[in-house]
Amino acid sequence: MLSCKEVADRASAMIDGELGAWEMLQMRMHLAMCKGCARFISQMRITRDLTAAANTSGAVQDTDDTRISAILSQRHDGKPHGG
Amino acid sequence: MRGMTDIDRSDEAALVRALAAGDRAAFERVYRQHNAAMVRFASGILKNRASAEEVTQDAWVSVLKNIGGFEGRSSLAGWIFTILLNKARTRAGRDGRSVSFDGAGEDDSLAAAFDGRGRWKDMPELWEKMTAERIVAGRSVLQHVNAAIETLPPAQRAVLVLRAQEGLEAGEVCAILDISEGNMRVLLHRARLAVRAALDALS
Repeated sequence: MLSCKEVADRASAMIDGELGAWEMLQMRMHLAMCKGCARFISQMRITRDLTAAANTSGAVQDTDDTRISAILSQRHDGKPHGG
Repeated sequence: MRGMTDIDRSDEAALVRALAAGDRAAFERVYRQHNAAMVRFASGILKNRASAEEVTQDAWVSVLKNIGGFEGRSSLAGWIFTILLNKARTRAGRDGRSVSFDGAGEDDSLAAAFDGRGRWKDMPELWEKMTAERIVAGRSVLQHVNAAIETLPPAQRAVLVLRAQEGLEAGEVCAILDISEGNMRVLLHRARLAVRAALDALS
């Protein structure tokens, strides 16, 4: 039987779908009996989803148009180089 | 986390052609999709937001100058972040610092959460109202998430931005940062634990 600490250590692998069948079964057995770990896994899923959602939040800024124009105007300056 | 589908790929090929043709709308789309993450990534390396914004701007110019040479061997985002990392490395080098993402580093934020038998000392909270729209202390939950990411150690921040925010494939993240897949998973997990702890403090 996994301890709560062992469940927490495997939380990311579980929610990212990277556990094998046996490890997944061990996790499910623990989670069925442990409210604390069930809550923790739920917190980690929410954290994963909010982290993804935060990527472009507030990304549009007033200065964007100026910056975009500045970048586009520099593209033909000088010679291309490797990248 | 899913990989790219065929539709994503043909979509991306069309986008690359539009960028190469100098289409402003296409560039705006790519800029708005990646710019904030690029600044977040670069400021983790340079520890300075103004330098990170400059380096990101430089990287964009380089992206547009070299887009004709993009062959789709990596995703467009992976290619853009490779250029950005090169620029950030050069800048850090000029300041006398080298950049490495090796080593998992710090303990995770749960180190003290368990008793000697590996059980929770305190039961984790039920996060009933943790939604993207919620405002706490004048900022949205999503702004709190990005603020938490900006306090992460550089390697954790790099992995979280590339893998969990930009959605790059695991192999691509490892290639860009020159780390093993095992190391990447540890870094991703620790970064997520730190963001979880920051969110827990809001609940």
